[in-house]
Amino acid sequence: MSAVLLIAGKDLRLRVRDRSVFILGIITPLVLSYIFYLVFGSAATGDGLSLQYGLVDEDRSEISASFTAVLEGAAADGVLELTTFQTDAEAASALDEGDIDAYLHVPAGLGDAVVTNQPTTIEVIGEIDAPTATQIAASFAEQFASAVAASQTAVGTAAAVSGVEVTSEFIGSLSGDPASAAMSFMFADETAATKQLDAPTFFAAGMAVFFLFFTVQFGVIGLLEEEREGTMPRLMAAPIPRVSLIAAKAILAFIIGAVSMTVLVVATTFLMDANWGAPLGVAVLVIAGVFSAVGIMGLVASVAKTPEGAANLGSIIAVVLGMLGGTFFPIAATGGLLANLTYLTPHAWFMLGLAELGSDAPWTAALPAAAAMMVFALLTGGFSYLLLQLRLSR
Amino acid sequence: MTENILTADSLVKTFDDLTAVNGVSFHISEGETYGLLGPNGAGKTTTISMVSGLLTKDSGTVMVAGDEIRTNSTRGRAAIGLVPQDLAIYPDLTGEENLVFFARLYGIGGPELDARVSQVLETVGLTDRKDDLTKEYSGGMQRRLNIGIGLLHKPRLLILDEPTVGVDPQSRNAILESVEELSRAGMAVLYTTHYMEEAERLCDRVGIIDEGVLQAEGTRRELVSMIGEKDRITISAAGDLVQAADAVRRIDGVTEASAADDHIEILAANASGLLPALLEGVTSAGASITGVEIREPNLEAVFLHLTGKALRD
Repeated sequence: MSAVLLIAGKDLRLRVRDRSVFILGIITPLVLSYIFYLVFGSAATGDGLSLQYGLVDEDRSEISASFTAVLEGAAADGVLELTTFQTDAEAASALDEGDIDAYLHVPAGLGDAVVTNQPTTIEVIGEIDAPTATQIAASFAEQFASAVAASQTAVGTAAAVSGVEVTSEFIGSLSGDPASAAMSFMFADETAATKQLDAPTFFAAGMAVFFLFFTVQFGVIGLLEEEREGTMPRLMAAPIPRVSLIAAKAILAFIIGAVSMTVLVVATTFLMDANWGAPLGVAVLVIAGVFSAVGIMGLVASVAKTPEGAANLGSIIAVVLGMLGGTFFPIAATGGLLANLTYLTPHAWFMLGLAELGSDAPWTAALPAAAAMMVFALLTGGFSYLLLQLRLSR
Repeated sequence: MTENILTADSLVKTFDDLTAVNGVSFHISEGETYGLLGPNGAGKTTTISMVSGLLTKDSGTVMVAGDEIRTNSTRGRAAIGLVPQDLAIYPDLTGEENLVFFARLYGIGGPELDARVSQVLETVGLTDRKDDLTKEYSGGMQRRLNIGIGLLHKPRLLILDEPTVGVDPQSRNAILESVEELSRAGMAVLYTTHYMEEAERLCDRVGIIDEGVLQAEGTRRELVSMIGEKDRITISAAGDLVQAADAVRRIDGVTEASAADDHIEILAANASGLLPALLEGVTSAGASITGVEIREPNLEAVFLHLTGKALRD
């Protein structure tokens, strides 16, 4: 064990002198996460984005009322602020004054048009300087339209089957509130797959785990560097078990990775107001994440022939896993194939673990994600150990 | 009887289709310097890699100070000091830090650590530069430190793999002097080189290796006599040199003697042993001696004879 610590200590001293470990392990992820937070933070999560909408309901039908109810519900949940106007002119004036970001205009006759299956339009008029808010308002209108279209199809089918005339009363007897049922998913409780971290935490965690895979490379490519520097024969001729060489590099990688992550967690908590969750749970996730990074990057080092080759291959793998793992954007929430593939990366489990922790969950909420990361660590670490043993025992 | 520190027996190592070392056997006694002489690619480095436990042997055994050396065991390793052919130092550590690290790796600690590090720094002449990063050292200084690290733990067997390659003449001489001193101090030394002069100067016995096979081994004289080469003695003298040459020619062991203007050329099997009789013969013939030069046949000639090629081929 003393040989392991001795070699790891020597490597640590070299890394500290090198200084690149600070740049790649701490400064770069910290700066990038802050920049991403500033640039994309509001748009990514809605956090801090003030949505001030107006609504002009000139239809005043049962259907337009359901749309109004959905918007009022969102306002009640704090998602947006809603002001009701009597006329289009009043709303346009408020828009010009900058009192609202956009307004939604429900024209007279919309309800009848829906019932008689005629084309109709909900207008969204937005402030040119508030494109994001306008786009979100348009999304509300589009989703309502989709819900109405679905209801029209269902009603038409029911009428055809029963042979009755389609009236408002008939529609009411079928579905009660044709739009709100379909719209309700917009504000439903989040499932595990769609849970989102707040912006500062998301970008801090994303950058931390993304750069973790670069940082641990400083440790795992150490064996290749010993070969390049010519010091490997001297180490192998020393009266120490060869496994201690591998162990020393792995321990150094773990230490560098863990320190880097810890510094980033603490720094982003204070500098960016990131909310990582229960400290013990975060610690469990960090440790499991570092183990998985050491295992994967160790496997890369064990198949590479030179430190440069390992660094290049490692960088490619780190970027691919980072992107797929949702460190830049929440892939898990997009659905489809990518949402499934993302769980083939430790990054996704790390982010998921943090989302599970939330702000008030117990630390044990992190355990499933940590266990998943440890599976990555054991599989890749085991293979890399075998390959490195083979390499050292030529 | 001196103890064998190293016994290498029937070493074989094959890389794919290439047999790099094929049945090499030799031994080194305490205080003996054994030279492994051969051209590049002859199998010298592969042999010492097996001797030092770096490389797995296909077959054969290596015993160092009573312990068998294996790649998967640490037994006997502490008795070996290895100086690899390439520099094996950390450029971003100081000279002292390099020494301290490797000393600890060999289990040296406490007060002994400081003493050994200081002693080695003194031996390799780097005390004044011990706090400088080794990447700031000259090539010769780096080579000296490279050797110093191999000496830290006072090994019973020091293995030097072509330690003077790429070294300036001054540093080279310093390295050779250090090796001579270590040998005098009782250390067994395995020295590989393709420089014939180094082998002749340092080694008590030489093994000539080519294409993975130990072609011959012995003292320089044994190797030379093996191929029947004679010593050439030139005695510069004044007087009747024809008569002096006749007198010398009658001495047992002298093969040939001929007179020239100011000297006599003599061929003999053992110049050093015959020298007193030769000098007596010349003076007894009335000539006065002004100088003597002995040129023994060198290992280059032996190598050429054994392998059909020059050492630097």
